[in-house]
Amino acid sequence: MSEELRKEIANLKQKKTGQMYLTWLRFKRNRLSVIGLSFVVVVIFIAIFAPFLTPYEPFDTNPFRRLEGPSREHLLGTDELGRDLLTRLLYGSRIALQVGILIVLFEGFIGISFGLLAGYFGGWVDEIIMRLVDILRSFPVIILAMAIAGIMGQGLFNVVLAIGLVGWTTYARMVRGKILSIKESDYVEAAFATGESTVSVILRYILPNVLPTAIIMVCIMMPTALIASATLSFLGVGVQPPLPCWGSIAAAGRDYITRAPWISTTAGIFIMFTVLGFNFIGDGLRDAFDPTSKRN
Amino acid sequence: MKKWRYVIKRLIRTIPIVIGVTLVTFLILHLTPGDPVRIMLGPYATAENMAALRAQYGLDQPLPMQYMTWIANITRGDLGTSIRYNRPVTELVKDRIGITLTLTLSGLFISVTLGSLLGILAALKQNSWVDYLCTFQAMFWISIPGFWLAIIFLYIFGLQLRWVPIAGLTGFVSIILPALTIGLQEEAWFARPMRAEMLGVLNEGYIKAARAKGVRYYKVVGKHALRNVMVPMITMLALRLPWVIAGSVVVEVVFAWGGMGSLLVNSVLARDYPVVQGALLIIALSVVAANLLADLVYSLIDPRIRVEGGKK
Repeated sequence: MSEELRKEIANLKQKKTGQMYLTWLRFKRNRLSVIGLSFVVVVIFIAIFAPFLTPYEPFDTNPFRRLEGPSREHLLGTDELGRDLLTRLLYGSRIALQVGILIVLFEGFIGISFGLLAGYFGGWVDEIIMRLVDILRSFPVIILAMAIAGIMGQGLFNVVLAIGLVGWTTYARMVRGKILSIKESDYVEAAFATGESTVSVILRYILPNVLPTAIIMVCIMMPTALIASATLSFLGVGVQPPLPCWGSIAAAGRDYITRAPWISTTAGIFIMFTVLGFNFIGDGLRDAFDPTSKRN
Repeated sequence: MKKWRYVIKRLIRTIPIVIGVTLVTFLILHLTPGDPVRIMLGPYATAENMAALRAQYGLDQPLPMQYMTWIANITRGDLGTSIRYNRPVTELVKDRIGITLTLTLSGLFISVTLGSLLGILAALKQNSWVDYLCTFQAMFWISIPGFWLAIIFLYIFGLQLRWVPIAGLTGFVSIILPALTIGLQEEAWFARPMRAEMLGVLNEGYIKAARAKGVRYYKVVGKHALRNVMVPMITMLALRLPWVIAGSVVVEVVFAWGGMGSLLVNSVLARDYPVVQGALLIIALSVVAANLLADLVYSLIDPRIRVEGGKK
C-alpha cells in the first residue's frame, strides 16, 4: 500500500466515510479489476446500442454472399447463411448478458434463500439442505444441466432454469457460512433481546450483512453462468439459432472451420472478452471487500 | 482406533448421498411437463407403440414402484436398454468409459502438474513479474469456454500445422491436445492454493530453521514444504473432479473421440432417456466415490493424525 493511499484512508476514516467508499478505493487500486470493469461496460454499451452500431439486421440472410471473408462491407465477413457476422456478434451480447444475469439472479435467489434457512435454523433444516447440496454437487454442473435442458427442450428460459437448478449450491454454502458467524454476533442477540420477531431479525439485521457476500458471489458466478450457457448452446441444448448466441455461432462455425475460420474464432473472442471482464472484477471485489486476502 | 471410527462414520454419511443421487437421476425424466413416452417416440407415435413402450419401461406403474424397480435392476447391474441402439446401457457405457477415463485422468495429471509447478514458482518469486504472469495466465485460461479452446487448438495444430490427427483417439499423440485443453482450463484451480499454501509454509518457523541450518533451497521446498501442501491439494482434486469430467465430456465431443461425452450428448438430443440416466448415474457415483476416497486419504496423510501413529 502506498503512502498516499494510506493518508487518503486515514482522512476518510476521520470523516467517517462509509465502508462502501473504502471498498471502492481498494477496488480502484487493482488495475486489472478496473480493466475488467471497462470490458464489461463496453459489452453493456454494445448490448444497449447494437442497432446503432451496425447497418444490418441479425436475421437478414443473403444466399449469394455465404461464408465471405472480412471486407469493407462486412467487417468480419458473413456466416453460412450470408448474415453479417459482426452484426450477429454485437446482438449476441444481448443474449449473453440476458442469459447470464437471469442465471445468476435465479440461482442466487434459490441459493441465498436456502443458505439463509440452513444457517439460521440449523438442526434438521440445515441437515436436509446441506445433504441436498452434497447430492447436487456430485453431478458435474454442465452435464446435469445438459440433461435437464435436453429434457425440457431448447430455449432461453429452459437454459436459465437448467443451469440455475444445478448451480445454486455454491451460493447456499457461502451464505450459510456467513450466517453462522453473524448469528453469534452481539447485534443479533440485542435485536432478539428487544423483542424483535424472527422474520424481522432476518430481514433487518442478517440479510443486509449477507448482501456484500452475495454481491461478490454474483460477480464471481457470472463467468461460470456465461460459459455454461455457451457450452449448452454448443452441445445443441441451449439457446439455438436463429437467435444470435455466441455459443451457437462458435459451434456452427466449427463446421466451416477450414473455409471460414473467423466465425468460430471471433465468436469465442467475444465470449472470452466478457468472461475475462467479469473474472477481473470478481477478483478485485474479493480483495476489496476482504483486505486480509490481499496478495501481500 | 480413532481413525477407524472416522472411516466408518464417513462411510455411513455416504449412504444418503448415494440414495439422493439415484433419486435425482430417476426424477429427471419426470421433470418434463409432457409425457416422457411421447417425447421419446416423437409426435407421430401410435397409441399401441406408446402403450408398448410404457409397459416395457414400467411407466404405467406408480412413481414409487417405478423407482423401486429401477433400483432393483441397478443393483443387479441392469441399467436398462437404449432406445436408439437397442442395446443394454451397461454395454454401451462399458465400450466408451475407458476413453473418457483416459481423457479425465490425463487432463487431471496435466492440470495438477502444471498448476503445482506454476503455484510453487509464483510463491518463490512472490510479487515479481513471474508471480503476476502466473496469476494472469490462470485467469486467461478459465475465461475461455473449453469447447472453443478445443476448436482453436484443433484448427491450429490439427488443420494448419498438421502436428496431430484431427479426429479420434489414435495413439499417444492424439491424447496431447484434448488433455492439454483440460489441463490448461483446470490448472488455475491448483496453482492458486499451491501458491497460497507455499507462501504460508515458507514463512513457518521450521522452514526458516531448515534454511538457517544450511539445507539447500530446493531441498527445503521439496522435502518440507511440499509435504504440507499435499492435504489442500487432495481436497482440491476431489472438488474439481466433477468439473474435469464435464470438461472431458465436452472436449471429447469436439475431438470426436466417441466416448461417454458423445454418447451422452447424442442420447440427450435423441431423447434416449435410459442411456442419459445410466450415464448420469455412473458419473455422479464416481464423483461420490472419489470424494469418499479423498476424505479417507486425507485422514491418512494428515500430519496431525500421523503423529499419533508415532511415525516421524
